[in-house]
Formats: sequence, structure tokens, C-alpha cells
Amino acid sequence: MSVPSSMKIETFFTIEMPYRERMDIRRTVFTGGNGPRVAVVAGIHGDELEGLYVCHLLSCWLEQLQRTFPGSLLGTVELYPATNTLGLDTLTRGLPVFDIDLNRTFPGSPGGPLPERLAAALMTALSGSALVVDIHASNIYLREIPQVRINQEFDDMLVPLARRMNIDLIWLHSAATVLETTVAHSLNSCGTPCLVAEMGVGMRITPKYCSQLMAGILNVWRDIGVLADDVEIPEACHTPLIADDSNVHYLNAQTSGLFVPATSHWTNVRRGEILGTIISPFHGDILSEVRSPVDGVLFTLREYPLVYEGSLMARVMARKGGVS
Amino acid sequence: MIRDLLCMTAPVREGFDIPCHEIGSKMSNPGAALVAGLHGDEINGTFILSRLADFLNGVESGKYPELKLVKRVLIIPAVNVLGINLRTRTWPFDKSDINRMFPGSTTGETTQRIAYAVLEATKRADYRIDIHTASSDFEEIPQVRLHGPTAAERETALLFGLPAVMERSLSPVFSTTLLSSWKVWPGRSFVLRVGQAGLVQLDHCQRVFRSLVAFLGRVGILEGVNIAAEDEEVCCFDKASAFRVYAEKAGTFVSDRQVGRWVGSGQELGYIYDSFSGNVIEKVLSPVAGLLTGIRRHPLLFEGDLILRVNKKG
Repeated sequence: MSVPSSMKIETFFTIEMPYRERMDIRRTVFTGGNGPRVAVVAGIHGDELEGLYVCHLLSCWLEQLQRTFPGSLLGTVELYPATNTLGLDTLTRGLPVFDIDLNRTFPGSPGGPLPERLAAALMTALSGSALVVDIHASNIYLREIPQVRINQEFDDMLVPLARRMNIDLIWLHSAATVLETTVAHSLNSCGTPCLVAEMGVGMRITPKYCSQLMAGILNVWRDIGVLADDVEIPEACHTPLIADDSNVHYLNAQTSGLFVPATSHWTNVRRGEILGTIISPFHGDILSEVRSPVDGVLFTLREYPLVYEGSLMARVMARKGGVS
Repeated sequence: MIRDLLCMTAPVREGFDIPCHEIGSKMSNPGAALVAGLHGDEINGTFILSRLADFLNGVESGKYPELKLVKRVLIIPAVNVLGINLRTRTWPFDKSDINRMFPGSTTGETTQRIAYAVLEATKRADYRIDIHTASSDFEEIPQVRLHGPTAAERETALLFGLPAVMERSLSPVFSTTLLSSWKVWPGRSFVLRVGQAGLVQLDHCQRVFRSLVAFLGRVGILEGVNIAAEDEEVCCFDKASAFRVYAEKAGTFVSDRQVGRWVGSGQELGYIYDSFSGNVIEKVLSPVAGLLTGIRRHPLLFEGDLILRVNKKG
């Protein structure tokens, strides 16, 4: 039976600013049948734009669905493309004025200052969803392949969902106390599954990765009954590798200078292979060679060339094999 | 003696270091380690510790013959050296907060390496003190801040003689701070919070300077200190004693009140004006009778901003 569907853009959080203006944070809601409610959150960091484009692609796809197969949306989809609205509008990673990382303020508090209130409002809005996907780009320094990062505390609940997300990597990381203040940890702790997707690089969009993740999100939505079984979605053909603390190798700069990559991101590398060099702009010498410590996959590569001693230049994952 | 805790290279300028003062006997572990400037905009602490280093170097050189330093004191006036010079709270290159990088690492990111070097240099001291301010928006009364203290730390906190000892519960973010990393080592660890960022507040700095000299005297690191009693009593405040006032309306907040004053319940402490029309839109009243331990200094208010905190005497 066909289910009527609708789409609206609404303000879900508003707060008064010092001089006349209000800060409104908006979401787009697609309402179909009484099936599961799902959400996509993006732009928690104001310098990460990949998720905004994914939200656009999802909107585009859902609007088309409404026009062609209006009964195929069985549940409700909420898109939060610009969670840190002021940060995005002013090219600031944290919350402007407050100089706070919004993703370190959860679960928040409804009566406190803006960061606390916004976090609490998001928790209220997202709790009870069948699935939340929190999309991050990397920062401006590093480029990442499409991946989902999962705190091992929640791997039983989240890995089966992540496998269907059409991403290239699932990174299971150990519990870190500081990460308890993220939206994902706060939601997962109260039983609302939240996947953290990470891909691309800060301040840029990578259309290929965004399309890949969009297909994965639609794939999972169909699995869990947000979309009708017979709805046609873009092909989801990526199978994730599995990484954890035992097979991820970090390459930090041995000296400061200019990092010049010698290989492409997202390639297989051999142990001892040169991944790049650190050079000085003042003379012709090479200060340091960066070599892969293992046979594996180069899944993180530095995008911003200047490095300080200690700056992360690359991550290589020794292969453990894929999952089906 | 001045020692470099850490020497590192920089991409296109000369290398940089984090210098510290080591004053007194070289034998055994330091009696006290004092750290400031983990945040580059917290200048009160850097000023206090540089003045303390000057004073203790004077003690060592015989300038104050009645005083004797019997244990070594290690002083780091500023950890975030580049942040101080560029007036930024965080590490200027990647905007990371050094006080969220502990316990640090010798092989990790730049700020993790800095954190590791600071922890290694200070963790074996009998008494460890990390000085901070509030942000540049807010002024805090000079206070000892305790996070999940031991009974011994509660007792020792009184020896600073500062007007307030404030207890806070442990939080996930706390686990990445210097204080948290210190607490796994034997000894006693304290955070002092003094005033607001971006300023040298001379009254606060002088008071904390005196309190540090008195503290070193009371714990037996500095002999011969003539400790004058402070005019005010030391008040110990647990979390439940704090009453905060948040802005119900946005606008421009104006107040001439000073932190450290006792206020009455319902007393007017400031006004919020409409930033466009200039009308008074809210009188800010004290919610209880108590000590004004913190007040907003940046006038522009978002709805929900913290305006002030009054602590009720138990």
C-alpha cells in the first residue's frame, strides 16, 4: 500500500545572540510511514564539509523517490547537515565565541551555556532513532578513506551495521575516556546505535567518497526497513577491511619541515617502501625519509604539507583480510 | 639553573625549547614542581611563576639570608611557549590543547611529546602545582581546585591560605589533564585557578605569590618564612555549594562587582542591557547569600551564558 510522504525543513534549536540575531539550527525531515526513524548528523566540526554534501545527495535521492515512488519511504529520515551552524558559516572547527569542540560536550545539559544546550537538544532529538550516522571529514591535515570508527565497547551492536555501509574500512578502537563526551558514545550508551563515518579531508568535499557513503547509508536504511525492500538504490559494492589497535601503524614526523608524498593515498604499500620525504625549503637536502613499517594499506595520508616533529603523516594498516 | 625540558625542531624557524628553572639542591627528587602556561593565554600563572623563580633564585644567592631552600624546586612558567608568544590558548600549529594530551608520548604528536616531557620532569615531586586561569570571558577568585582529592590533599590545600578551596567531580575530559596524570604518582597534586585569561591581574598575582611562598614554608621546603595570616578565612566549597546564574536573555552584561566579596541573597550584582535599544532587560541578582567566586567579564552575552557563581558557606 502506498504511504504518503512529506519533506520539510524545520528549526530544531534556537538561541538568542548578543546583538539582535538568533542562531537557528535546522534539519530536513522526510516523513513516510510508521517505520523506523533514522538520522544523519554532519557538520559538528565547522571545518568538515563532506557530510554536508552527503546530506545534499540524500535529500536529492529522497526528493526523487517522493516524486517517483512516494510509498517507498516506510519510515522517517532526519538530516542535520549543519550542526555547528556558526562554525560552518565562519570557517571555524569549534563553536565560535566558546572555542569549544562541540563533539566533546555530550550529553550536554538543557539549562547551561550554548554548547551544553545544543548537545542536550541533539541528544533529545536523536535518542530513540533506529540508527544515527555521524559524518566527519578528517581535519585539514589528513586525508582518510571512507571508514566507520567503532568503540570496541559497542562492536557487537555496530559492526553488523557498519559492514553494510559500503565503506572501505572498519576501525575498531579501544575505549578512551575522553571520547565518552562525543555524540556517538552518548547515543550508543543509551541504546541508540550511532555509527561514526569518517572520510576525505577537512575544508573540502570528495564527491566520489560522498556518493559511496550515500549508497551505503541507503543500503542500511533498506536493511532496517526505512526503505521498502524493492526500492532501487545505488550499488553498494565496497567490502570493509578491519583495523584495530594491533594492525594500525602510525608514522609521525621525525623532524619538522615540508612533507612531500611519494605515493598516492589508498594504495597497497610494501614494507620499507618510501611513502614520502621531509625536506627543508632552505636547502636541497632531504631531512627524513618516511618508509612503510609493514606490508599493508596506506589509509591515511597527510594533506597539509608542513609538519612539526611528531606530526602524523600517514597510517598504514597491515591487512587482516576483508569481511563478507 | 635553567634547563631545557625539551628541544624540538620547527618547520621553517629555529628550533624551540621549553625551559624550566631548577632551584636548590640537586640531590633527590624535587620537593615541589610548579607549572603554568599549559594554555598560552593564561598569563597570570606565567607571571606568578616567573616572579617566584626570581625570588627563589634570590634565596639561593643569599639575597634573603633569613631564608633557606632545603629542597629542590622546579618551575616551568610556560609550557606552551609558542602559544604565549602568539597569544593563543592552544598549540598554535594544530590548535590542540596541551592539557588534553596527558600522559603524552615520546613518539606521538608534537603536543603529546611536550606533555610527556612535562610529566616526566614533574611527576616525582612531593608537591605538584599547576596554575590556570578561567577563560578571557570570566574571572575566578584565586582558589585551589581539587578534583577527586585524597583526604591528605584536602588537608594540604588549606596550607595555601587562598580564600577558596573548590572541589569538582572527575569528568571524562579530566582524564587527559596534567593533574590527572600526576595523581597516579605518590605525592600531592593541586590546580590553582587565578583570575581570567589574557591579563596580569596584579592583586590576584600578588596574593597567589604570597600563598605559594607561604605554602613552601608550611610544607618545609623553604625554611625561615615568616607567615602572616591572611585577612580572610579559607572557605572549602563542595560542588553542592555553588549557585550559578545563567543569562535568561542575551545582551550586554555590565557589573562593577569584584570577586572575593560576600554578597547577600537577592543583592543586585549587575544588569543586562538590550545591545540594540539600550534598555535594561534584566537585573542580575545573587541567588543566595555567599561568596562571589566568579563573574563574567566579557560583556556580550548569549542566552544561557554563565554570568556568575556564588558559593554558599556550608
